[in-house]
Amino acid sequence: MIGSIARRSHRNERIALNVIRLCAGFVILAMAVILLYLTIEGTKTFFVDHFSPLAFLFSPDYDIDGNHPGAAVFIAGTLLVTVFAIVVGGPFGIAVGVFLSEIAPHRMAQLLKPAIELLVGIPSVVYGWLGLTLLVPLIRDHTSSPSGFSLAGAGIVLAIMILPTVISLSEDAFNSLPPTLKEGSLALGATRLQTIVRVLLPSASSGLAVALILGIARAVGETLAIQLVIGNADAFPNSIFSPTATLTTVIVGEMPSATEGSLQEHALFSMAFMLLLIAMVLILLVRFALRKRT
Amino acid sequence: MDIVATTQQRSTSLLGASPGVRARKLADQIATVVLWLMASSIILLLAMFIIYMFYLGVQYLTPSFIFGLPAETTAGGGIGPEIYNSFYILILTLIFTVPISTAAGVYLHEYAKPGRFRELVVFSAESLATIPSIVMGLFGLLVFVYLFKWKFTALGGALTLTLLNLPALMRVTQEALASVPDTFREASMGMGATRWQTVLNVVLPSAIGRMTTGIVLIAGRIFGETAALIFTAGLSVSSNAPYDLNPFHTAETLAVHLWYTHTESIVPDVARIGNGSALVLLIMVLIFNIAARVGGRALSKRLTGRPT
Amino acid sequence: MKRNAALAALLVGFSLSTSSVFADSSITVAGSTALLPLAKDAAGAYQAANPSVKISVSGGGSGTGINQVAAKAIDIGDSDILAPSQPELVDNKVAVTGFAIIVNPDLKVTNLKRTQIQDIFSGKVTNWNQVGGPDQKIVVINRTRGSGTRVVFEKTVIEPEKVVEGGLTEDATGTVVSVVQQTPGAISYASFSGTHGKPVVELAIDGVAATEANVMTGKYPFWSYEHMFTNGPPTGDVKKFIDFVATSNDLLAKNAFIKISDMKTSETNR
Repeated sequence: MIGSIARRSHRNERIALNVIRLCAGFVILAMAVILLYLTIEGTKTFFVDHFSPLAFLFSPDYDIDGNHPGAAVFIAGTLLVTVFAIVVGGPFGIAVGVFLSEIAPHRMAQLLKPAIELLVGIPSVVYGWLGLTLLVPLIRDHTSSPSGFSLAGAGIVLAIMILPTVISLSEDAFNSLPPTLKEGSLALGATRLQTIVRVLLPSASSGLAVALILGIARAVGETLAIQLVIGNADAFPNSIFSPTATLTTVIVGEMPSATEGSLQEHALFSMAFMLLLIAMVLILLVRFALRKRT
Repeated sequence: MDIVATTQQRSTSLLGASPGVRARKLADQIATVVLWLMASSIILLLAMFIIYMFYLGVQYLTPSFIFGLPAETTAGGGIGPEIYNSFYILILTLIFTVPISTAAGVYLHEYAKPGRFRELVVFSAESLATIPSIVMGLFGLLVFVYLFKWKFTALGGALTLTLLNLPALMRVTQEALASVPDTFREASMGMGATRWQTVLNVVLPSAIGRMTTGIVLIAGRIFGETAALIFTAGLSVSSNAPYDLNPFHTAETLAVHLWYTHTESIVPDVARIGNGSALVLLIMVLIFNIAARVGGRALSKRLTGRPT
Repeated sequence: MKRNAALAALLVGFSLSTSSVFADSSITVAGSTALLPLAKDAAGAYQAANPSVKISVSGGGSGTGINQVAAKAIDIGDSDILAPSQPELVDNKVAVTGFAIIVNPDLKVTNLKRTQIQDIFSGKVTNWNQVGGPDQKIVVINRTRGSGTRVVFEKTVIEPEKVVEGGLTEDATGTVVSVVQQTPGAISYASFSGTHGKPVVELAIDGVAATEANVMTGKYPFWSYEHMFTNGPPTGDVKKFIDFVATSNDLLAKNAFIKISDMKTSETNR
């Protein structure tokens, strides 16, 4: 009697274990399939249409009708907009992360944390719409940009969007430092600022690097918020107030009208493939940064 | 003797200190003020967004707008079917994602031994998490629209969103499981339960409060997802019945509709639809956020007697 | 017991909705935003007369329309241009539409020579004072690559010049009109259905005003046929709907389209 119950629960255990393993394995399968499909479709530009990868990467001449889809303008656009966002949002985010971890009294943290969570929850299309209705007229009326659609607008919107990511990861990085570091520094007579700048920041550097890298990942992959404010111009921007385009905005702008199997469709998938590669590189960087810590 | 407290007490007084120390303390105080300003500016920014959106959009929130049918070329369109589609896709996505991600999370946290398989699962999840949503949308286009020839469907959109949100929900599961004290597991197994019985009857119920909070927060994000749905669920609502139950219907969601209105659409009342839709989206996010906290706490209390 | 009842209810609901898929006939139409107002009005009128047919109409641009009907994702692809690269598509011309070059009303410019327009869009002229307007930088707003309107523009007005890249691009007719209205110094182009009666100025080209009458005689060059492409010859309700669109005189006039039979001139390459 007892033996059969034990046998049944052991059998359930084995079934459960296999089902769970299957689900975990599904994650691996999904990633592999995605990687495979995007690689195949993304390299058709080079293998089927015989367009040179170097020309794709470095030629600013995006001429579909002339069979010459050079994507340099868009790659530059992605990089520029990301740099802008991380330069503006990175230090700000780390500073607020420090604030939350070291300075904020409990009441303030209780107010700030849900606010940050809410900022994360706002859909990117709403950020784009806010940029369109608030920021674009501001830029149009107060800077050299005639229409208001510009790199700067996209950069500002992105900076706000990556803030929550950078803030919470920075805060985590500081929270996971051993308290003896801070106590020792203060005991030696250092002010809080000195402690933060000279002791805590360097010790948390790998965690902060992760925060910045993941902020960059978010910025690189953002599509709609940028598309509504950047102006979609196929040219390198002359200034931060000029319009331009990024890999993501070109994809979302042209994919609906790209015929299946055409050079245009292949070129767009190659751009998506580039984004995938950039994402993979960023992950490896994160792992490298984390390994350095231990 | 509290070293930290006494050093902090000493360092807040500028009087009677040497010039070098005074400069350092001044810098410290300035920095503190700056940081407070930065943190407050974030709260102010959020408040400004919310107030602005309410100010612009609340006038449009009439029943004919919220429940009405959309218009392609004339003024006066509504967003009823789009809201329906947002919920439909959300529920469908959760139906697929929650079981798989919970199982995978349980495996990683409760069962997996360190080794190649575990590393591969973790790496795959991290990689999936970093893929931009537009790239995932293109993958969905390749597989569901081109390869399976489904054309634009709610199901295709939901499956794409499943892939997109697996890593996030796995992380939610793992963190929730980690919050359950090991003593629970030890006690259960000490009484002779198998590991699966322990997980099912002891660990998961304890973790359910946190899991619910996490799932509802992610549901809020799914509700606002756009890039992955443009190419998989389509840009129009079902032609058969606006509130179509068939998962193969074309399903433009509210978020996609907001984007469509500002890029493709030719209706004359773009501002009305834009402002109204943005506000509705914001309100939904607020509701999801509040429900996540309140619901998670209530569920936890019911099942375990603890607040989280 | 309760669970089985719930499951049964779900199955019934599912089958009811799917049965509605197969019982009524449904037509999906998408593509050109220039044709969109006419297609939408016609769909409404046709469904009112034939309640068992469901028609859904959306935009996306001529390129999208051609693309999707070729992939059989939709039934009718609306387009301002021909589709020579898709020989399996059947061209059903339903109307003629004129396009206007629009400028920001504050410029007080109402007429330009065709050569001036070419110089503006090819980048040779960059300030309005070079063409009789105020001292204001010219902001060129182009249409995206998938836009049929853009192809028509390049073929009928700009050739032999080429439009310079690097300007702002916007996608749909409605967006273009509102950006031109809000941006000082802006110039762009869109179909009559999107520009007539809007707070922008429709330029006369070489003194010829942008009106339907001038398109009919061929004096105004910027026009094209509206094509409703089908994958294979149209049959059944699809054919009836296309014929309906081409013969709805009141809807054509209301949306600033021209009946093909009213044209005093014709072209073969648009």
